[in-house]
Amino acid sequence: MSEGKPPDPLARLGERIDQARREQFQRRGSGRGASPQGPLGIAFRIAIELVAALGVGLAIGWGLDRVLGTRPWGLIVFFFIGAVAGMLNVFRAAKEIGRGPPPGQSQGREDRD
Amino acid sequence: MPLHIGGIDISYTNAALMMTIVVVLIAGLLLIATRRARLVPGRLQSVAELAYEFADRMVDDNLGEEGRPFFPFVFSLFMFLLLGNVIALIPFSFSFTAQIVITATLALFVFALVTVVAFVRHGLHFFSFFFPTGAPLIMAPLIVPIEIVSYLARPVTLAIRLFANMMAGHTMMAVIGGFAVALGYFFFLPVLANVALYALELIVAVLQAYVFAILTVLYLRDAIHLH
Repeated sequence: MSEGKPPDPLARLGERIDQARREQFQRRGSGRGASPQGPLGIAFRIAIELVAALGVGLAIGWGLDRVLGTRPWGLIVFFFIGAVAGMLNVFRAAKEIGRGPPPGQSQGREDRD
Repeated sequence: MPLHIGGIDISYTNAALMMTIVVVLIAGLLLIATRRARLVPGRLQSVAELAYEFADRMVDDNLGEEGRPFFPFVFSLFMFLLLGNVIALIPFSFSFTAQIVITATLALFVFALVTVVAFVRHGLHFFSFFFPTGAPLIMAPLIVPIEIVSYLARPVTLAIRLFANMMAGHTMMAVIGGFAVALGYFFFLPVLANVALYALELIVAVLQAYVFAILTVLYLRDAIHLH
């Protein structure tokens, strides 16, 4: 009677674990790039992204001015460049967050990101 | 414990102490957990395996086979930040991840690693990263500085995100804890709020360690496959 089953209980356990993993993997999609953060985390992230690029731009402009003695033009130019870079980063971050799961698997995930 | 050698301040600070503790804890946890490794894992071994497989999947999903060499780095980074963040929640301990010096150092290290990897793998071709394919050449003077700034902003965001999240959580708890003294008979209200906040902080602590690690992995992916 026991011929049909694998005789080794460990092999059976391994099979079951593999199957459960596959199911879990399919359920979550590949989970790639999707952010598990809540809305607060996303807001935090975007705000930081915007400010940081601006800060970097300003720092570069200020530094260039000091080195080249072109005050205040470097600061002004790099302020705008930093602002644009910040928006670009925000756009990229938002795209990454919005990518989410592929269509057809979206049920029960709307509340997460 | 102030310590000056050769004009450089290498004092042994609270942060250094906590980092030492965290490293010892991680090493101890993993060594003890795997010393008597069994096929059916016990409690401690489960913890170690869970963390290991989690980081493993993170690297595997995003980098594939090419990501193997980076796994030890990502795993240690993840464990270091995870334990650092969680340990900071124990009263009277010290949260080194809420010090911008430390998060900035880590972020700069990641940034340097990513840049070096990109250079090694692509050589001078790396600079094409700053100019999207298909854009008209006239736009180059505008696009290149923008892309460079947005690339340089990465370590800054990486550092500030971890620092700000930890800092904000701890400050919020301290402020609300302060209300307890001021409110007299109603002291239990802020205390209850703090209990709820504590749970939130635990989530944030784990999440931020994960976010730092996954962003490192994503940046590495960018470095390996330009565009």
